[in-house]
Amino acid sequence: MEIYLLDNLDLLQQHLLIQHQLYQVIEDDNGQCSWQQQTKEGNAPLIAKLPQSSAKDFFFAEHENLLIFNGEYFQETLPKPAPFVLFGALSCDLTAISYQDKFFKDDPYYQARRQHCLLVGLDCVRPCQQGFCPTVDAGPGVREQSADIILHPLENQQWLVITTSDKGSEAVKGLALSVAHWHLLTQRDLVLHQCEQDFPDNTYITQAIDKLNSGEIKDSFWQQLAVQCLGCSGCTTLCPTCSCYSTRSITVESEQKKVIKQQRFWDSCLYEGFQREASFHNPSSDAGKRVQRFWHHKFGNEFFTEFNRHGCVGCGRCEQTCPGVIGIHSVMKRINSDA
Amino acid sequence: MLNHTPDAIELVDYIDDGEKARHYQFRLRNITSQATTYDWQSAQPGQFFMLNVPSIGEAAFTFTEPPNEQGEFRALIRQMGKLTHTLFTLPKGEILGARGPFGHGWPLEEIIGKNIIIIAGGCGLAPLVNLINGLIDNLADDQRVVLVYGAQSKRAQLLSPERERWQAHIKIYNTLNEIKDQYTLAENESQGTPLDIIDTAMSAFTKPPATALLCGPEIMMYRAAKQLVNKGMTNDAIFLAIERRMHCAVGLCGHCYLHEHYVCKKGPTFSWQELQSLV
Ligand SMILES: Cc1cc2nc3c(=O)[nH]c(=O)nc-3n(C[C@H](O)[C@H](O)[C@H](O)COP(=O)(O)OP(=O)(O)OC[C@H]3O[C@@H](n4cnc5c(N)ncnc54)[C@H](O)[C@@H]3O)c2cc1C
Ligand code: SF4
Ligand code: SF4
Ligand code: FES
Repeated sequence: MEIYLLDNLDLLQQHLLIQHQLYQVIEDDNGQCSWQQQTKEGNAPLIAKLPQSSAKDFFFAEHENLLIFNGEYFQETLPKPAPFVLFGALSCDLTAISYQDKFFKDDPYYQARRQHCLLVGLDCVRPCQQGFCPTVDAGPGVREQSADIILHPLENQQWLVITTSDKGSEAVKGLALSVAHWHLLTQRDLVLHQCEQDFPDNTYITQAIDKLNSGEIKDSFWQQLAVQCLGCSGCTTLCPTCSCYSTRSITVESEQKKVIKQQRFWDSCLYEGFQREASFHNPSSDAGKRVQRFWHHKFGNEFFTEFNRHGCVGCGRCEQTCPGVIGIHSVMKRINSDA
Repeated sequence: MLNHTPDAIELVDYIDDGEKARHYQFRLRNITSQATTYDWQSAQPGQFFMLNVPSIGEAAFTFTEPPNEQGEFRALIRQMGKLTHTLFTLPKGEILGARGPFGHGWPLEEIIGKNIIIIAGGCGLAPLVNLINGLIDNLADDQRVVLVYGAQSKRAQLLSPERERWQAHIKIYNTLNEIKDQYTLAENESQGTPLDIIDTAMSAFTKPPATALLCGPEIMMYRAAKQLVNKGMTNDAIFLAIERRMHCAVGLCGHCYLHEHYVCKKGPTFSWQELQSLV
């Protein structure tokens, strides 16, 4: 780990642009934030402003070809992306990427993209609007293992640049950076600690997680909750750790030849037909069971053991897309009061 | 790293069996530019493969005969939805794809040389064919194998020639849900479901079965498992093959979940001990 001090972040962007495509979160006139490609430096990263969509699409594409069939044999269609950088990714989203890295460890399509990506994380020095990252150990400070470079804004408009991997050290080579004094790291810790204190009281989430794992919650509770779920897939689409997909075949015919492509695309375990078999046997035809499974996938002890953390990274996107129904805050509150 | 790409196979032959079911014979094609990607020879009884019908997609089927050295293998396939309907229209010689073998099959160490009760319903007999053939080839003198096979009707029964052949070596009880008025039941047939005949089948053993193997509709399997426990079998001696919708077979797409497990990887065979807490 190396720590540097930088007056002007443009220099780092400029430097990274030489060898990477650069993506950054940009806010539009309506206050909506989204990942956009930048061809030149100049946009300062936005503090604690979570983009509406997470970064998962960069690695686990919303839809992509898995193979093509030419009538004789099947061929892999691995993506070959140019090196790219996600500049200013926030800690919850980076934690989700680490989670997905484990889940898709052996998936060649995910890894083909992931290996070409440099992650530049950005500390949140104040709580965002809906998030609760401290409760699930996913922020607000960027975790060392989850990024290649960490940016920390200092009060005097300067930036702390912390490289946390070989890839990160390699990426800043050739850039004139001054080594920072270690006491700035202590200062960073203090600021992040204060930020954690500034989050609203989220103990109801911890309590609900315990209750969820106690096995005490009755099926009827989930059924009541599920009455309000439209099965729209909003939450599963936006959730940075959701990874279910489906497959389909597409035939492309031209005069000379016919090519068949098999694609995968994001699916949702909350859809009624997600598990429906050809015989119409459907083990999760009950909407309550589907909602229960979703929340167990995020907070169940069995998954914690496998991934060494919860499946939820505390970004609050599900609440934003489904206010008052089956978003995180609503569900956790109802588990405490009604279950 | 995983591979999502099937090996090319040829549809060699098929024969009809029962109502809307066929035995398919396939052969791996070794096109020089693309040698086979998978370890086909390692297939164990109860494991499955993903059949790719280009332009339609993929679906899971068990081997009734695993790939031999010539790369030939068989499956018994029921006509169900889009993929299987299309398959049933395809001529011999058609090029398709296959990935596999996948999953955990039957627990051979609990089976070889032991007394076994097998309970199968409908197409659930398919994943057991390869196993039963193997058991019969190596049957020990004092080993007893009993099969209970349930079908909807006489017409819906599958694998008649096989069952005829097995009959000489193992005890078979056939159950039929519906029978036509004039129909006289054969000696080894009765009206009802496998559940109705389990007690009788258990009494065919002088030494109780060490292991039970179940495959068929889920409710039938759960009830049968409970009945066997009542008859004195232990939860860890009963094994069930679970069917779930599958799209990837490698634990990624999520479709086959059963609580925290993915049936494609952890199953399709589970012990009743493992399953009880999951269903
Ligand atoms: C481990 C395993 C072994 C099986 N072995 C056999 C066998 O030996 N013989 C046999 O006839 N059938 C078997 N099946 C069931 C077989 O996979 C389905 O009947 C088949 O998928 C129906 O496809 P379809 O396209 O005709 O139906 P559709 O309704 O058109 O299905 C569309 C797609 O949904 C998926 N799907 C639907 N139902 C199932 C299902 N039950 N299981 C998996 N995927 C499904 C498939 O991806 C399929 O392409 C097995 C299933 C599993 C999980
Ligand atoms: S949840 Fe935490 S890490 Fe994510 S944006 Fe909010 S404050 Fe930042
Ligand atoms: S469950 Fe909700 S809060 Fe948790 S990571 Fe997913 S979208 Fe974010
Ligand atoms: S079939 Fe995709 S996870 Fe099991």
